[in-house]
Amino acid sequence: MKKRIPPGPTSSGKSFADISTRAQNGDAVVMTAMEFKEFVRTNGIKKAAKEVDIVTTGTFGAMCSSGAYFNFGHSDPPIKMQRAWLDGIPAYAGMAAVDVYLGATELDDSNNMMHGGAHVIEDFVRGRAVRLKATAHATDCYPLKEIDTYVSLKTINQAVLMNVRNCYQNYAAASNTSGRTLYTYMGKLLPELGNATYCSSGELSPLLNDPLYRTIGIGSRIFLGGGEGFVIWEGTQFNTGVERTPNGVPKRPAGSIAVLGDLKQMTSEFVKGLTFTRYGATLGLGIGVPIPILDEDMAKACAVTDKDISTAIFDYAQQTRARPVLAEVTYAQLGSGEVDIKGRRVPTSPLSSIYKARRIAELLKKSIAKGDFVVTEPVQRLPLDRSFKPLDTMNDKEAME
Amino acid sequence: MKTKLVLNFNPEASNLPITHNLTAKYGLLVNILRAEIDEVGGKMVIEVSGKAESIKNGIDYLKEAGVGVRPIKEGVRRDDDACTHCGVCISICPTKALSLDRETRKVIFTEEKCVACGVCIDACPPRAMEILI
Ligand code: SF4
Ligand code: SF4
Repeated sequence: MKKRIPPGPTSSGKSFADISTRAQNGDAVVMTAMEFKEFVRTNGIKKAAKEVDIVTTGTFGAMCSSGAYFNFGHSDPPIKMQRAWLDGIPAYAGMAAVDVYLGATELDDSNNMMHGGAHVIEDFVRGRAVRLKATAHATDCYPLKEIDTYVSLKTINQAVLMNVRNCYQNYAAASNTSGRTLYTYMGKLLPELGNATYCSSGELSPLLNDPLYRTIGIGSRIFLGGGEGFVIWEGTQFNTGVERTPNGVPKRPAGSIAVLGDLKQMTSEFVKGLTFTRYGATLGLGIGVPIPILDEDMAKACAVTDKDISTAIFDYAQQTRARPVLAEVTYAQLGSGEVDIKGRRVPTSPLSSIYKARRIAELLKKSIAKGDFVVTEPVQRLPLDRSFKPLDTMNDKEAME
Repeated sequence: MKTKLVLNFNPEASNLPITHNLTAKYGLLVNILRAEIDEVGGKMVIEVSGKAESIKNGIDYLKEAGVGVRPIKEGVRRDDDACTHCGVCISICPTKALSLDRETRKVIFTEEKCVACGVCIDACPPRAMEILI
């Protein structure tokens, strides 16, 4: 696959360490992504690069690849949990004795989508008690076979949100040319191009303001669900080889981040159990990332607006991996409330809450300005050479080729 | 005068030409906002307009015919705490009762425009929209 990644920085500027120290002393100029774009419009890139230190970005949307792990402590007599349920939702217990991982999209045996793993995670965040049941084959060191009790964030040792793929850099949009309503992870798609949905906070979205991952990397401290968290790895399905604009902005889903943070710090304003009818449960999550304006290239990157970011609207009527593209559109067009698909005016829905994305950018700005939130330099950059492989049915020999 | 009514039918009553009779016998204008009727009965939300007296007589007629009648002032309610302002609902609401405030980027619910069609109920991810029937 041909890569279209433009070269790295071209102008010398401020160092990460300088910016971070200035911020901790309360001397940094911090702007939200909204304010920064306005500043660039009136003052230009050069002045923006010189005067602004940090830009705060934000996003709030359904992030399916989320979950949390918990350590409950030991019962007396102890149990090595083999199967575990939190409020009836199965949690993965195949790690030692009393650690489990609860996935956001996990459902109970009846497939009740109104209450999945994500809803249990929200219940924890709200401070509610959650029923824990576990079973085990007894051992000499862990004799207990069964436990049925209640736990909450107050009783649990560690409760950590750990998500393998969040904050997608750009995302595909969806519509439906079929004659029936489709219920998808892109929401309810009305028949005959009745509506179109998209899911990115566009110009406010973290990775769209740092398209070549110059400042967001492993070890970056971020706003996560109302508390603090970190980028811990590239997100799964990380894919750098997509087509990009001359400024490096991908035109299709590209990068993403794996993140981790203390659930005990989070709030239900930014951690929400969601239900997409006939699709399932998922977690509504708020993430904010500060971007240091190291130089003019970074300023240019953060000046990106919805007019410069485009994506494709795919036809979800086609139930295959390669869905046909109905239209190429910009986020400005999607955000106008209507887009043109095959000569028809089709109303749009965002799915991603711009209201909350803005709120996150504001909150992050305030806590950086107060010196509460320390901006960290990544210890390792995200990769620039990942492709996204499909899953095909093959035999063992083919799988090794 | 205009009133929204929730009608509950048993199987016998669901075969009666109710809306026709409300118009023909009581001179009422009937607008069906939502209907879920099958062989085991069902529910219907209608808006009737006409003189207060005629509406009262129409309601009496419905009750005599074995139809459960309940007036509604408010067909649909939004739980403002639960709403994340995601905007999923704005492209599916047929009357634009749910719309985006371009300035604040909040999703506004204008109750007067809502016809209680119910389309938004299962589309809202945090289930903030609730139909009061
Ligand atoms: S779909 Fe629900 S949560 Fe989203 S804006 Fe509409 S009412 Fe609010
Ligand atoms: S029930 Fe929902 S979709 Fe239907 S008119 Fe009211 S707000 Fe709009």
